Amino acid sequence: MIYIAIIIGCIVGAIIGAFAPVIPYTYSSYLSIAIVAALDTVFGGIASVVKGNFDLKIFLSGFFGNSILAIALTYLGEKLNVDIYLAAIVVFVGRMFMNLGTIRRYYIEKWINIIEKKNKNRKQQKTNEA
Amino acid sequence: MNGKITMTISIGCTALILTMVMFTQFKTVGETDITAIETMRETELRAELASWKSKYEEIETKIEEREKTIGEYNSELENNQNSLKILENEVKEAESYLGYTALKGEGIVVTLKDNEIYNIDHTDLLRLVNELKVAGAEAVSINDERIIGASEITEINNRIIVVNTKRIAGPYVVKAIGDKKYFESALTIKGGYIDEITGSGKDIEYNVQDNIVVPAYEG
Repeated sequence: MIYIAIIIGCIVGAIIGAFAPVIPYTYSSYLSIAIVAALDTVFGGIASVVKGNFDLKIFLSGFFGNSILAIALTYLGEKLNVDIYLAAIVVFVGRMFMNLGTIRRYYIEKWINIIEKKNKNRKQQKTNEA
Repeated sequence: MNGKITMTISIGCTALILTMVMFTQFKTVGETDITAIETMRETELRAELASWKSKYEEIETKIEEREKTIGEYNSELENNQNSLKILENEVKEAESYLGYTALKGEGIVVTLKDNEIYNIDHTDLLRLVNELKVAGAEAVSINDERIIGASEITEINNRIIVVNTKRIAGPYVVKAIGDKKYFESALTIKGGYIDEITGSGKDIEYNVQDNIVVPAYEG
């Protein structure tokens, strides 16, 4: 059910985005930093699902809050003539890799467990047969 | 069940928003021509503007320099013309001072005549010229012989008066250019030149005029 919702959302979003008007290049840097923040939240959400402590409120607030905060920081950085968005990207991408690592470890462990179970089953079958 | 539906919807919406923004961004980045001015970043535009401004300022300073040099040349030209005028004036002054040019202006004409008893002496002329010079004469002539620094007024055999190595005879017309009032008062003062000449029985006439021409010195 959730996977279907995600797929439908992705398709509809892609269609809308493909037909959306082109935004000015000046604002596209803000948008890109917001996308990075949102992606970070998405991976964080997946990691929390994997860990089993997923909370919708935290996910949604992180999704929008992080994006808006990233945009605000970029704007502030432009006003201060400091490239704050670089710091935001470093933080978000670093967290993204951490979360990806968590997810990867989980699935690898799961996979290894499955293989080991199969092996055990075979052994047991063999002993049973013997 | 209710919670699951809200979760599904919200996660779907999240996915929708994320992909929508991402695709918008893809499109923007893909379609943006970096060299086009409308889509340039503000900072790039600023840099461009600054470079143009500096170029403009450079050219402006160059123009100023050129104008300055033109002004210098002009002023130099003017100076040259001025100095030329000054030199010309100096030359004219020097010429008039030396008597190489005829002079015209107000002054006095004194006429000395020989009468039956007394002849005019060269000293009379000499003294008259001296008087006139003291009274500020700019140019003096005797019978149209210009008196200059090198002129002499002398006598040969106590008979013939010579001015500028030329013999002259009476009546002796002495013309002087200068302030006519000074001349008049200098000559007619009591015990002055006219008194002396008339006292010694010689004939003298004078009249002040506004337009007297004193000829140039001719060798």
